[in-house]
Amino acid sequence: MDIGPIWRALLRNKSSFLLIALQIAATMALMVNAIAIIQERSRLMARPSGIDEENIFYIDSSSFDKDLEYQAMVAEDLDLIRAFPGIVNAMLTNSFPLRDGGWSQALQTEPGEGIDGTGTAIYFADEHGIETFGVDLIAGRNFATTEIVWADPEGAPDWPESAIVTRAMAAEMYPDITPEQAVGKVAYIEQDQPVTIIGIVDRMQAPWKSWAGVERSMLVPMKRGQSFARYVIRAKPGYRDEVMPQLERLLAERDTGRIIDSPGTITEARRMAYLEDSAMIKLLVFIVSLLTAITSLGIVGLASFSVAKRTKQIGTRRALGATRPSILRHFQLENFLISSIGVVSGAILAVALNMWMVQTFDLTPIAWYIIPVSMLVLWMVGQLAVYGPARRASLVSPAIATRSV
Amino acid sequence: MFRYYLKLGLLSIRRNPILSTLMVAAIATGIGACMTIVNIDYVMSGNPIPHRSDVLYHVQVDSWDPHEAAEEPDLPPVQVTYRDGTALLAAKKARRQVLSYRSSRVIQPEEAGQLPFEVSSRSTSADFFSMFDIPFLFGSGWDVDSDESLEYVVVINKEINERLFAGVNSVGRSIVMNGDHYRITGVLDMWDPTPKFYDVNNQSFGDAEEAYFPFSVSIANELSSDGNTNCWKPVDEGGFDAFLYSECIWMQFWVELHGADEKQDYMDFLNAYVETQKALGRFPRPMNNRLSNVMEWMDSQDVVADDVQVLLGLAVLFLVVCLLNTIGLLLAKIMRRSGDIALRRALGASRRAVFSQYIVEAGIIGFGGGVLGIAMTWLGLQGIKGLYGDFDFVTKLVTMDWLMIFAAIGLALISALGAAVYPTWRACGIQPASQLNTL
Amino acid sequence: MLSMQNVSMVYRTETVETHALRDFSLEVGEGEFVSVTGPSGSGKTTFLNIAGLLEEFSSGTYKLDGKDTSSLGDTERSRLRNEKIGFIFQSFNLIPELDIFDNVDVPLRYRGFNAAERKERIERVIDMVGLGSRMKHLPSQLSGGQQQRVAIARALAGEPRFLLADEPTGNLDSEMAESVMQLLEEINAKGTTIIMVTHEPKLAGRAKRNIFVRDGRLSSVEPQLQVAVGG
Repeated sequence: MDIGPIWRALLRNKSSFLLIALQIAATMALMVNAIAIIQERSRLMARPSGIDEENIFYIDSSSFDKDLEYQAMVAEDLDLIRAFPGIVNAMLTNSFPLRDGGWSQALQTEPGEGIDGTGTAIYFADEHGIETFGVDLIAGRNFATTEIVWADPEGAPDWPESAIVTRAMAAEMYPDITPEQAVGKVAYIEQDQPVTIIGIVDRMQAPWKSWAGVERSMLVPMKRGQSFARYVIRAKPGYRDEVMPQLERLLAERDTGRIIDSPGTITEARRMAYLEDSAMIKLLVFIVSLLTAITSLGIVGLASFSVAKRTKQIGTRRALGATRPSILRHFQLENFLISSIGVVSGAILAVALNMWMVQTFDLTPIAWYIIPVSMLVLWMVGQLAVYGPARRASLVSPAIATRSV
Repeated sequence: MFRYYLKLGLLSIRRNPILSTLMVAAIATGIGACMTIVNIDYVMSGNPIPHRSDVLYHVQVDSWDPHEAAEEPDLPPVQVTYRDGTALLAAKKARRQVLSYRSSRVIQPEEAGQLPFEVSSRSTSADFFSMFDIPFLFGSGWDVDSDESLEYVVVINKEINERLFAGVNSVGRSIVMNGDHYRITGVLDMWDPTPKFYDVNNQSFGDAEEAYFPFSVSIANELSSDGNTNCWKPVDEGGFDAFLYSECIWMQFWVELHGADEKQDYMDFLNAYVETQKALGRFPRPMNNRLSNVMEWMDSQDVVADDVQVLLGLAVLFLVVCLLNTIGLLLAKIMRRSGDIALRRALGASRRAVFSQYIVEAGIIGFGGGVLGIAMTWLGLQGIKGLYGDFDFVTKLVTMDWLMIFAAIGLALISALGAAVYPTWRACGIQPASQLNTL
Repeated sequence: MLSMQNVSMVYRTETVETHALRDFSLEVGEGEFVSVTGPSGSGKTTFLNIAGLLEEFSSGTYKLDGKDTSSLGDTERSRLRNEKIGFIFQSFNLIPELDIFDNVDVPLRYRGFNAAERKERIERVIDMVGLGSRMKHLPSQLSGGQQQRVAIARALAGEPRFLLADEPTGNLDSEMAESVMQLLEEINAKGTTIIMVTHEPKLAGRAKRNIFVRDGRLSSVEPQLQVAVGG
């Protein structure tokens, strides 16, 4: 339609239109960056931990009995748990994925001091570890019962000779060979203690979800503890919530020289681990919706004013032969032009803001397509917001033109 | 004249109720969003111990790996080893010094029927209570001699005293923890510094511990830390003793120093200490010791979460949009009333008078926005509490004090007046004659 | 050309019925220059609004160029206005944020002419009203007389058969008014039918035929001045 005159008229009424355009630009900058953060957080939250999250729970036991026979207690507890109906398997360990607390150590491909190692999470496990966590062994073999050792409860353990690592850990240490070929390789822990990689699991996250090496973990055939025991237990599908309190009571009643903490599920651990992220997503969605609402109210407000102010002019246009649809189009086109200035400068502002945030907060840069999508959304918001006032404008009677007031 | 402008302003607001509501709502929403985040940032970056934050120093000595700094860029470790902590403590070169670490214990009530329960505890040297100015309900802490003579003494907090002794003065009585009897020397009154400055590396917004006892007793009982333990060098075989002798960092060391001279003297002492350790083959890195007072330490440890800072940036942008909105609406309103303004000018109102009239009107709207903004901030904080409520510490972050309430009103007034400047300036530019003929 | 038969226009509010026009009948032929006079509130403006298809009427028939307008929808009425009628308003009704060129352009845009034709027409009519050098000026930069000339140019640009003028000199001083009147007479001389509403008997006298409206009817009582001028 007639862009030329509308554009020239806009230029002569700069300030109020510029305000709307600025508002759209700032809204767009905020929207794009919020979406970028939401996307990143959602991506983090979507990463699988590799273990059978729905069916695993844990029970912590703290003994205060000074004459505790720790190894015997653990063995009896585990026998009881494994024999319990509805249980797949159980074992003693130190941590689990999503717990945000655990043990890490470096493995190096050559022995000696000053050699760069690869950091990995350590999970103490036994021959039941693979089944208890529900991870996929893709190469090599599981631990044999004879390989499991009891470690010195204080200080650093005397590391066992074999270990199972994740595919990501193998790939990081041996970038040039397949994970299958890594089976049988000897790595070094504590600079010079040899550890043979006997198996590879597909995926099992480290306990720290924000750690860059979160996909790197290692299972070692070791049991360790003194007064504190953490049992990780896998229930048959559908049995978890039923057996969890039963096992808690069973363990507490079996031995009164200890405190059994209320058990927790991995589902809950995941919720807590990503609470900040999911809260941030909800907050940002809310902020962006609110902001879009405010901006569209602003568009409605200013467009209403502009219609009210131009009633005479609209009447004149009608008198000169403008049809109702052409008045409607006039205001919608006007809004489209303002929005265009807004979204184009908004795109620039969004990129600038993103660059600053990437630098300051280590965020990932925005995906390019968020910008055109946001532009489209704001264009549509503008058109919807202006529709009401524009429709009112189109209903102005042409007879207004002959009124002298 | 002010009252006249006030009357005109109120009249004008009443004449356009929808528009005025929209402007007040826009300012209030912007203020609400902004102040919600500002409030959280304010609590997070607050000074937990304002009257002593300048004399308390966190001590760092660089005992780390020669090949890699403990923290980028080239910073010393955030905690100290047992060896260094105990050596610095024993040297007594500061007015007061505190070595402590976080652990947990099981209390076994002696009364029948009460089940044992776990408490968070801090194993610490004696100066902890006086140095951090901790209020006591009953009794006091223990003295330095008790540290050295391994006395089984304990300070419990108010809640534990309620639970075990129904709140009566329990000083002198004893409790059983992990099988040992401890004599109570004091009961703490409410004390919960936010952030928990003396140990920000283990849950900076967590609750203060429930029980305190001499660290020397804990060490003798081989009670290890609940908090972060980091090692750069393999620990030798030999159980807990080997661990104590290792290069693992897991304890926090604080000193009290008054004035630059004492600080300099203590720094000299630290450097001399590190030299002696270097002579023993430890401390392979270049000399890099730090003394940070409470606020410097909070800053360097990024106590305020990144998310809060991102949100703060976005909230400010949000306020900007709300203000642009208000500017636009005010401008539209004033331009629409240009006939009225021209008439007033024709009747003798000066530019100044027109300016004052509209600034007062904007002020009313700003004040309304501020008051409503406080309500919005409260709502926002409740929302935050709902979202993050599973973190226990969140309740500490969502409280508003008077300063924040005044800040909200102040920000709203400044915002509204700022937003009014341009539209009002335009109003002043309206010529007395220009609009009359179209009236 | 223009034919009204028993046209009535009634404004209703909750309590009052106002008859703005009652059984108004009028024929205007090709090339006439008719003036409409009458006291305030007599129905002059209502007549003009109906004649210009700005307003619909309550009863009666109105044929424009032989076409019955009472059954037409808004779009069709808009098109008729655009093609057949040119308007000149008392307060000019120029669009303040558009320059002279764009103001004259407004009806041509709605007409759907191409850019070259629009430019040719705009320049021709602006030259005709003697403002060829002011093409890029805003209305606020012109005097009242010049603004009314622009309005006339705008009315003429689409080459309408009818020109409806509502107090075209009402906001102008006598000197400017005279030049506008001369322009209207020139236009009429070239064959455009003009209906001019005015309350000034002196101007009305310059039309070829004069109509007097009172209480929404054509009045049989001829105003004295008209007789004097006519005689």
